[in-house]
Amino acid sequence: MRLTAFRIENFRSIVDTDWRPVSPDNITCLIGQNESGKTSVLEGLSLFFTGEISEDVLRSDLSLPVVSCRFQLQGNSPASMFPSADRELVTLLGSLQEITLVRKWRADLESDLYAGGEVEEYYSRLAADREKETLSTLDRLRESETDIVDARERAGQLEKEIALLRNQSESLTSENRPARIFRWKGWGAGTTVSDESVAIGEKLDKRNAELAEKKSFLEGVSGIARGLDELNAISSRIAEAEDTLREISALLEERHQTMTLLSGQTMDELSAGSWEKVLRDYRDVLSLLSSLRESWSEQVAVCGFLTDGLQYESARIGAGKLFGKRRAEPALDEMGEEFFKEVPEFHMFEDFGSLLPNRIDLEDIVTGNDRVEGYKAARNFLTIAGLDYNFFQQPSSRILKQKIENLNDRLTHNFQEFWQQYVGRHNKIRINFELDHYSTNHGDKAGKPYLEFWVKDEGERLYPKQRSRGVRWFLSFYLELMAAAGRENRQMVLLVDEPGVSLHARAQEDVLKVFEDIRGNIQVIYTTHSPHLVDINKLHRVLAVQRDDTDNHRSATTILDAISLVNASPDTLSPLQSIMGNPIGNSEFAVDKVNIIVNDIGTYYLLTAAVRLAGFRSNLHFIPSVNSSSVPLMCNILLGWGMKFAVLLFEADREEKVEEQLRMMALGESDDGPGIIINVPQGFRNGEDLFSTLDFKNHILHTREGITTLNSEYVRDNEMPRNFLFSKFLADVDAGRIKSSQLDEETTENLDMLISILEKY
Amino acid sequence: MAGERGITRNASYNDGMNDHLSGLRYAQMIQQALMPPAEQLSSLLKNHFVFFRPRDIVSGDFYYAATSGEYIIIAAGDCTGHGVPGALLSILGISFLNEIIQIKAVPRANRILNRMREKMMVALNQKGVVAEKKDSIDIAICVIEPMHGIIQYAGANRPLIMIRNGRIKEFKPDKMPIGIAPLEERSFINHRIELEEEDSFYLFSDGFIDQFGGERNKKFKSGKFREMLLSLQERPMNMQLKIIEKTFYDWKGSNPQVDDILILGFEI
Repeated sequence: MRLTAFRIENFRSIVDTDWRPVSPDNITCLIGQNESGKTSVLEGLSLFFTGEISEDVLRSDLSLPVVSCRFQLQGNSPASMFPSADRELVTLLGSLQEITLVRKWRADLESDLYAGGEVEEYYSRLAADREKETLSTLDRLRESETDIVDARERAGQLEKEIALLRNQSESLTSENRPARIFRWKGWGAGTTVSDESVAIGEKLDKRNAELAEKKSFLEGVSGIARGLDELNAISSRIAEAEDTLREISALLEERHQTMTLLSGQTMDELSAGSWEKVLRDYRDVLSLLSSLRESWSEQVAVCGFLTDGLQYESARIGAGKLFGKRRAEPALDEMGEEFFKEVPEFHMFEDFGSLLPNRIDLEDIVTGNDRVEGYKAARNFLTIAGLDYNFFQQPSSRILKQKIENLNDRLTHNFQEFWQQYVGRHNKIRINFELDHYSTNHGDKAGKPYLEFWVKDEGERLYPKQRSRGVRWFLSFYLELMAAAGRENRQMVLLVDEPGVSLHARAQEDVLKVFEDIRGNIQVIYTTHSPHLVDINKLHRVLAVQRDDTDNHRSATTILDAISLVNASPDTLSPLQSIMGNPIGNSEFAVDKVNIIVNDIGTYYLLTAAVRLAGFRSNLHFIPSVNSSSVPLMCNILLGWGMKFAVLLFEADREEKVEEQLRMMALGESDDGPGIIINVPQGFRNGEDLFSTLDFKNHILHTREGITTLNSEYVRDNEMPRNFLFSKFLADVDAGRIKSSQLDEETTENLDMLISILEKY
Repeated sequence: MAGERGITRNASYNDGMNDHLSGLRYAQMIQQALMPPAEQLSSLLKNHFVFFRPRDIVSGDFYYAATSGEYIIIAAGDCTGHGVPGALLSILGISFLNEIIQIKAVPRANRILNRMREKMMVALNQKGVVAEKKDSIDIAICVIEPMHGIIQYAGANRPLIMIRNGRIKEFKPDKMPIGIAPLEERSFINHRIELEEEDSFYLFSDGFIDQFGGERNKKFKSGKFREMLLSLQERPMNMQLKIIEKTFYDWKGSNPQVDDILILGFEI
């Protein structure tokens, strides 16, 4: 599966990133200022895979993190993973192109992993239907419960009355019956004992009849009554468990608060052992609650069957079957776990974590002793070399040495392909390893094999640790990447924080080359401040990370994808501005200005100076492309950002081709289109041709040498530092060293012509 | 024997001179061929004359006439030096002008000179460094816009004289040659003059003005030159040429011609 998007909630400075896509070509670049939260994004993704967090990643409101990832399905349909699922679910799974996995942390900092997205929605709908059913059953149960309670109360009353009447009846049969009768009820004279007795008898009969009726009713609903009693018992247990959970959660929250606010101080009140018990209790209660809630639901179903008229045992069997079927359905978390087996491994590259050791015992590699220094790098090294222990069992040391030498050559060649930076004047870096054995003065290790690593250049043989930080970083990076790329069992999402900060610009570009090379097998997500690590032709790879309030480092982190970059702050976009060759910075990506794309940075300088010299005051400003062929790309970006813009094109052949491309993008002369094409009249092949030869010589080139070609041709033919010359010219204009009065009539006329064209926009 | 050797030497010298002269005459033909023939001038300018008297066989002065679209371009140039060096420069100048007017743009007299100067500096490898050759061309150029009734003028050390309604007006040139300037190259100024009927214009080199002669064997001088032109205004152009020619030879007398002489006059 391939990661397509992610969402991080409640993680460090992140409140909610909302869903953010990763680049479909497997290289995603996070740009942004320091403290913007770029690293948190990488960590959040890494923790999605490991699930392991500590309190220090929690936000101050102690809300618990949720990281969701969306993956594109490749190969087997998820429907095949769950053949016993409900038909509707199977159909749904079969139709999915992507699956979503959600990892949600709990108060004990353990996490639940479950299927999200459409699968979760399906389950939510199912749960809603079931809840509706449950509520309906509960409504009916409430009526029955009232009848039962009333009947029980009435039966109780009747039994009491009947007992009293019986006592009275017995009293009438005693000797002092009349007197007692008078005293008892105060009836008047003339009333006979016989009448009283009859009356009591009649009452008794009535009460007995009613009691019999009630008992008969209660007998009839005894199943429901039992069911209700059991349901109420479960409810009481749930309430009790919830009380317990609240108490434990309060303890956990207190701990999180302490750990978060006091930077890792532990709570004095609870020893480590007691704390373990709290966590255990928490998990037990959660488990109990889950089980009780399921029992409660099942009991509601039992009661439902009872209200439908089934006998208790039949109702139990019916509910058992129903819930047995439901239990056989894959649960969200089960599905999550299954899907998780298929998702790529998220791997956070640790700077220098994969540094080759000077020496490592073969035994440590064979036994997987990852505590020894450099184990990971040595392991990576052997993976890249395609070696296992058997290789070193070669009986002939001569053949073994020859094989090692060949391998060294191959590895060095591959490494050099990736890192083209010359470290010395002539030689490139070579990586070597050797197999040797400890001498007799190494005690227990005597005679045991070890591997020794070297990094050489210009004949100088140095241990890896003796090399520069840049070399070490790149080597470490190279080993980890190539080893990961060589692992075929699981795809990988490689998370790299600030790759190559120690590297020269050229070597940083090589890092990009490595990313390009491995992106077939590995998705790379990296953070950077460096313009050398952003490919100008692939700006769709960029996600901008910044704070909601850019002046407040405590505000929440926001992520902006390519189409919403217009809302990013200038500081966030500074690497982009750099690669676009934009020198001005803060004012360039503006929606409220008239943006005019020009072919390159040199023209940007010249035209900016020209407009200032012409005294043209407007909200117009130029946006430089890297070169003419990048103009359509720049237009695409601005279209994506929803910015109004125009493109200024000169007569040069290459710009005619650009115009063709732009017209295919529906750009034209009309205001109605997405962008406007402005053609500078013929004869001007580039910005410098707007200046007369004389002004060009006097104010820009500062030469008296004759020029008989167009200025642009002269600059090109003489390979002049165009950007430097023109930026200096702009600086001279800005400093008032060059004024419009110094320009000749030819330049002035050309600039007036330019302004008259631009004024229309 | 000595006499024989002398005769032999003289014969050889004469042969060489003959070769040299025939070469120069051929060069003269080429130079003449580069300058506009009388028919071309007549087709462009209703009334005009050209008083062109090279000091030697070939000339450092040259005149030029061409069209660029609806525009008529007239120029009179004076190269540093005379004879062969001047002629070579004049050929450069003519060829530069031919190149420049090919540019598809509305011709501007001053821009033509600006471009011509660039070409000249490249051709002569002039970069403003110390002790480099300062060869150059002085030139007056006019661009006539018949449709707009305008004449543009720009001058590199050569003025333009206009006579209108019996009054003379001289348009001053920029004090810069076509070639490296003493201090810095500035843009030539473009003068735009609205034409009136019977306006007469004169482009000229400094040969006539600098010609020694007269009773006191002095230079003719510009004041006298202006008076001469003004005095001709009632005459048609062909008569003006004859009078100028006569005036020149009368003035020069038996004095040698000091420089190439060029006067190009035309009437609107």
